[in-house]
Amino acid sequence: MARGALALLQGLLVLALAPGVVGLVRWLKARLQNRRGAPAWQPYFELRKLFGKEVVVSENASWLFRAAPYVVFVSTAAAALLVPVLAVPLPIDAVGDLLVVVYLLLLGTVFLALAGLDPGSAFGGMGSSREMTVAALAEPTVALAIFALALSAGSTNLGQIVARTMSDPAAALSPGHLLAFAALFVVMIAETGRMPVDNPATHLELTMIHEAMVLEYSGRYLALIEWAAALKLLVFFALLGNLFVPWGVAVVLTPAALALALASLVGKLAVLAVAVALLETRVAKLRLFRVPELLSASFVLALLAVTSSFLSR
Amino acid sequence: MESLFAQLVVLESSLVLIFGLVLLWRRRVPAYVSAFTWQSLVLGAVALTVGWFGRERELYFIGGLLVLVKGVAIPRLLGRMERRFASEREIAPYVNTATSLLVAGLLVLFGYAIMRPVVAASDLPTRAGMPLAMGLVLVSLFVVVSRKKALTQVVGFLMLENGIALLAILGTYGIPLIVELGVFLDALMGFLVMQIFVYRIHSTFETIDVDQLDRLRH
Repeated sequence: MARGALALLQGLLVLALAPGVVGLVRWLKARLQNRRGAPAWQPYFELRKLFGKEVVVSENASWLFRAAPYVVFVSTAAAALLVPVLAVPLPIDAVGDLLVVVYLLLLGTVFLALAGLDPGSAFGGMGSSREMTVAALAEPTVALAIFALALSAGSTNLGQIVARTMSDPAAALSPGHLLAFAALFVVMIAETGRMPVDNPATHLELTMIHEAMVLEYSGRYLALIEWAAALKLLVFFALLGNLFVPWGVAVVLTPAALALALASLVGKLAVLAVAVALLETRVAKLRLFRVPELLSASFVLALLAVTSSFLSR
Repeated sequence: MESLFAQLVVLESSLVLIFGLVLLWRRRVPAYVSAFTWQSLVLGAVALTVGWFGRERELYFIGGLLVLVKGVAIPRLLGRMERRFASEREIAPYVNTATSLLVAGLLVLFGYAIMRPVVAASDLPTRAGMPLAMGLVLVSLFVVVSRKKALTQVVGFLMLENGIALLAILGTYGIPLIVELGVFLDALMGFLVMQIFVYRIHSTFETIDVDQLDRLRH
């Protein structure tokens, strides 16, 4: 019972934390670029403002355009519920494993792409086509990187993977894990529309992907999509942080263990946020035609990760 | 102790292989040279690790030599050559980047497949790294045949040499020192000869694109 309540609580925590993580990355990036930067809690104000605004919808748009933000948000939130955040194992692990998380995220991506096509604006279609290209190349990589983890843990269940890595700390340094981590990191950047692949800071670039799709959205729809995008970043951060470096995740439900879990979660999120901000400051955006090359590089990494975990089982 | 040794060796061998793969993704000659440099330095670290855990004094010497020759001397020469041909920095491969990465991945898998019996027969703690070394040998062969510029083929050849050295260190804890020295000298001489060739090609054809070599007149 307590574990069920915790699962719910942890879902709410993730929902609440997500905009803050995006704000933190933005603030760090601003500091690194010698700008003052908006405070880390700025995205909360933006969300509140957007929820209060009127919704303007193109008259060519169908029901799909109105439904998509809800699908995107709910599917991402469902994925966030399944990811181990504070404690393992939770009863909710029985609902879905790693594959479910990946395809829930992909469901949101597909609906967002459809919504980009729906109002018939030129930019939206371009964004959708690019997003689908990236998603089609990123998805096999995610699946493979995850199989590398699942193979060494003997289960695709997220809770079990975490427990297994904690019981065998040497496994976290095995080449399979490191390669899978690198592959998943690259995919995280592609999937969440971060710098070398997409530029999250601008609406005014011909090569934009995510922003091009959501160009037609306003008001609460935009708020939901932005929130879902923040959630997706947090889900990937949690996967990277807790699957590969699981120490700190609570195994027993004592207040001390949970407090430690919360602290370590915040620490891991901060470290990953710093990594992303540094990367975004250091690298220039890739030409669109080089993105498939980056993704095939990460695919090869994931392939090698699976091979080496398969052979060193 | 044994497991730490095995972990470290596999980790370093994968790094050596990854620098080989990084090469395929990069586009410019300086990036090739720096990937090769890092690879040689990690290879030196492999030799030192095996020397430390396997109690083989000679490997320290070989590791030091690896770092000096392949980590410092050859990259400097490569850098000098690269500056000379600065106008030909962009690498024009026969196979595009995405395909070459996939091919390289398959080659590494193939390396795993052919080294299976060897790994099964061996009981050295370093055996897990051997397929990676074989994979590197295959990948560097692929670099040699799929890149057009003479300079990048030289880098591919040097990487091939690294792969063979890695295989020797992992499979037998290093071959006798005198043989190793001979190999080093061979590699260095080979490199110098190739350097002369590249300069000659450049002065005759005014390019180091080997595709142009079938053009006999100039």
